[in-house]
Amino acid sequence: MPRRYGPYGGAYVPETLVPALVELERTWRSARGDPAFRAELARLASTLGGRPTPLYFARNLTRRAGGAEIWLKREDLVHGGAHKFNNALGQGLLARRMGKRRLIAETGAGQHGVATAMIGAALGLQTEVYMGVVDMERQAPNVERMRLLGATVHPVESGLGTLKDAINAALRDWIATVRTTHYLLGSAVGPHPFPSIVAEFQSVIGREIRWQSRRAFGRLPDLAVACVGGGSNAIGTFHPLIRSSVELLGVEAGGPSAASRGAASLVRGRPGILHGALSYVLQDADGQIADTESVSAGLDYAGVGPEHAWLRDSGRARYVAVRDADALRAFRWLAQDEGILPALEPSHALWAAVRAARRRPKDQRIVVTLSGRGDKDLEVVARAAR
Amino acid sequence: MPYLLVDRRRRSQWRRVVRAVRDGGASAVELGFPFSDPIADGPVLAAAGQGALRAGTGWSDLVDAVRDAAEVIPTAVMTYANPLFGRGLARSVGELAAAGAGGLIVPDLSWDDSAPWRRAAERAGLDLVQFAAPGASARRVARVARDARGFLYLVSRYGTTGRGAAAPRSPLAPIVAAAHRARPDLAVLVGFGIRDRAGARRALESGADGVVVGTALEEQLEREVTPEALGRWLRRIGPARRSGDAPERTPARSPGPAPRRPDRTAAPAAAASDGAGTGSDEAGRAAGA
Repeated sequence: MPRRYGPYGGAYVPETLVPALVELERTWRSARGDPAFRAELARLASTLGGRPTPLYFARNLTRRAGGAEIWLKREDLVHGGAHKFNNALGQGLLARRMGKRRLIAETGAGQHGVATAMIGAALGLQTEVYMGVVDMERQAPNVERMRLLGATVHPVESGLGTLKDAINAALRDWIATVRTTHYLLGSAVGPHPFPSIVAEFQSVIGREIRWQSRRAFGRLPDLAVACVGGGSNAIGTFHPLIRSSVELLGVEAGGPSAASRGAASLVRGRPGILHGALSYVLQDADGQIADTESVSAGLDYAGVGPEHAWLRDSGRARYVAVRDADALRAFRWLAQDEGILPALEPSHALWAAVRAARRRPKDQRIVVTLSGRGDKDLEVVARAAR
Repeated sequence: MPYLLVDRRRRSQWRRVVRAVRDGGASAVELGFPFSDPIADGPVLAAAGQGALRAGTGWSDLVDAVRDAAEVIPTAVMTYANPLFGRGLARSVGELAAAGAGGLIVPDLSWDDSAPWRRAAERAGLDLVQFAAPGASARRVARVARDARGFLYLVSRYGTTGRGAAAPRSPLAPIVAAAHRARPDLAVLVGFGIRDRAGARRALESGADGVVVGTALEEQLEREVTPEALGRWLRRIGPARRSGDAPERTPARSPGPAPRRPDRTAAPAAAASDGAGTGSDEAGRAAGA
């Protein structure tokens, strides 16, 4: 299990957290080699989570683009409506294995909070979720969901009231409660071993893409596209494809205008240390973390997972930023063309995929990871339309 | 050792504050440079840091403050990893050392990732402090202590700085003993959430050589007391003495000081908060940085 991806990663944390990170890594090592753990993970992923999710040919969207075929990896159909379930289930089982009775989580769009609340209920673990006040307002349906699922939602008012502040609050809780609590980190960020654990639990996405694309069109796709906030659905998509020749494209949030930095840390940031890892970070000259803005709460984050930083530097993956208005356009295309309401996060990836499809011949195949469904975003989309 | 947050708005009274703190009995001072995302800070210091940043506090304010303070008292700098890393490690530690700082404390730098930081600090002539925390094995404490320079910062409890959720204290004595076994010359200072004289005494009875006080001082400053009143406050709470007659340990025994550095001594006893029985507001909130 790598502690570093090239120069990136590591565990820049207060000493108080070190024993918990060591315990987590040890537990994970023993669990991944334990057939009983793997069997339970697979059983619950299927019977509770609904895996495998389909790989769907978006015929009408392909026609709209007028080039390469666009296929959708339907993570929006996972239990809870997003890929977040994959990681929440895996880490929930690890928490139980460590004998920890309480889960805490951060959430931006609310999808990870919902997934953690579901797993907490299913495994009988007390669950508390930190969420920025701005995000609570723009993703209100998910706040209600979490509460109905039995989780306590703690509003976070500090900073901008978005994902970064929620992670700060969750880390502070964990520093105080680390002996009895597992921090169920929702993205491929944070100190080692979180990025590799999250990547491995999310890699089920890429593994399914491999066999499903072979079955559907006889080979791997030419291009895989996924949105990147912290980068968990993207790393899950990319990881099993890294050693193939499939092109990898990560799509960050470009924000409201060309002048905005948005939340595009890989495109517009530089190396820095945030939330325990060395990676690309949006920051000022003094190393203070920059404010971010995006229409999608799930991408609205100044950092990114360290493995993406290395994929970027090594050239194995490419990263682009897509603006709010384009993501909203892609949201409507998918709704009208395919009858699917995507979340605003993968709407960024959809827009980049359509643009790529236009430039590519018809015999190429693009797989886009549709990481979540859009029910939570109806209010934001309606407001943008007005 | 008191902790003072660098805030551009306090610039005019900075020298007086530092002198007052020295006259109040502090043996060294720890200057905090605010960071946008201070995950080890409790609410008081986190809010103070955000206020300082909103007021435009920048790196040059830190360098100025270090220069002023170091003329008066041995000075260490505390900030999070990214303000140092984002500026370039060699450059930032070089600038701090040139301004007269003797030590560097980075609360989100665990020992495991500190090797390049230790090298950079050593080259600049800065002591990079290491942390120990409850729950650490004796083996880890020994390894960390061996690489510590200046002193070992022992986090007294599970939690962030200042008055927080009253997490149960874990016994510190075994950790202090492990550190002293590995490095008999290394001072161990206890910080985080020491709220009263009893807490300070307990910390010192564990064998530690001193304590760090942060949140309580910040609260004093926020009340806009005069520097002289601050000094009186520190004097009133007085130096806490460690019990027993274990050998005195001071950071001065760490590798030789750079030419421009003042003699660094965090001294076996630093300011500890009073308030046992007084119930007074300020003392009740005394806490480590």
